Amino acid sequence: MAQPHQLAAPDTALIAAWRDGDEQAAAELVARHAKALARFLAGAGAPEAELDDLVQETFIRAFRSMDRFRGQCQFRTWLLAIGGNVLKDFGRRSGRRKVMPLDEGVRDIAGDPHDHAEASEAHRLIAAGVKRLPRLQREVFLLRAQQGLEYEEIAAALATTPGAARVHYHHAVRRLKEIVE
Amino acid sequence: MNEDQLIQAARQLGARAAERLDVQATARQVLQRLREQPVRKSWIHERWLRVAALVVVLLGAAFALRQLRPSSGESHQATHFIADDLTDLSTDELQMVLTSFDQIVAESVVPDSTSDLQELDAQQLRRLLQEG
Repeated sequence: MAQPHQLAAPDTALIAAWRDGDEQAAAELVARHAKALARFLAGAGAPEAELDDLVQETFIRAFRSMDRFRGQCQFRTWLLAIGGNVLKDFGRRSGRRKVMPLDEGVRDIAGDPHDHAEASEAHRLIAAGVKRLPRLQREVFLLRAQQGLEYEEIAAALATTPGAARVHYHHAVRRLKEIVE
Repeated sequence: MNEDQLIQAARQLGARAAERLDVQATARQVLQRLREQPVRKSWIHERWLRVAALVVVLLGAAFALRQLRPSSGESHQATHFIADDLTDLSTDELQMVLTSFDQIVAESVVPDSTSDLQELDAQQLRRLLQEG
């Protein structure tokens, strides 16, 4: 039997339902945002073998601190910011080992083998370059370029200003261009 | 590579890994972990943190005020310090101090009257200095 809130309930309604003890609301929030969160974490350098655990940990942390979410940004943006913290903590726990697996998402590019090789190389460099960016630059770049968010939204999630977010993004782009070229 | 190409590449980052994620299984795991470790009532924690922060701020402000404002005890101590110094002086030394003091004053305004001091004993000289 379908849950009523699974049809088209906004995140805010699901959050309110979760606060009232509705587990299915939490499950729906996970179903809605887990893939975007996984893309963000993987893009920011999470090893694929740890991705499921990191996604779970991010949701656990989000649900436990839901009282602090007051609609200052979208739930997904807030979730991604928590994901950034989870990934940082994971990096500390694992002794700051630099795991830079070749992102398999960038291998699967159709076309001429020579172009494919060049594109793959460029994408590999970008993937590696993103992981080497300072944390704030990396998160702003991914939230903007990968998730397509506005600077105001990014700023609200990362507790900074839209102007500062714009500066971080442009620094990241410049640095990534230098890496690729 | 221009910015648009960079953005296109960024959109592909992590895409394959995310596709492999079993969302339903993840949701089940999350719910299971939430049941095992219930949400803490963080409002109690936050309230105590606020109280502790308020106490620290008040103590800091009190300490700062105490450092900035000279207390009446300090001036009292200073008076006693001068009086103690006078107690240590002999009659001759006290007369010498007063004579030199009178000389300074006499040079500016007051006519010479140091001869009167010669008639005072040590006790009277001390009282005179303390009152002055």
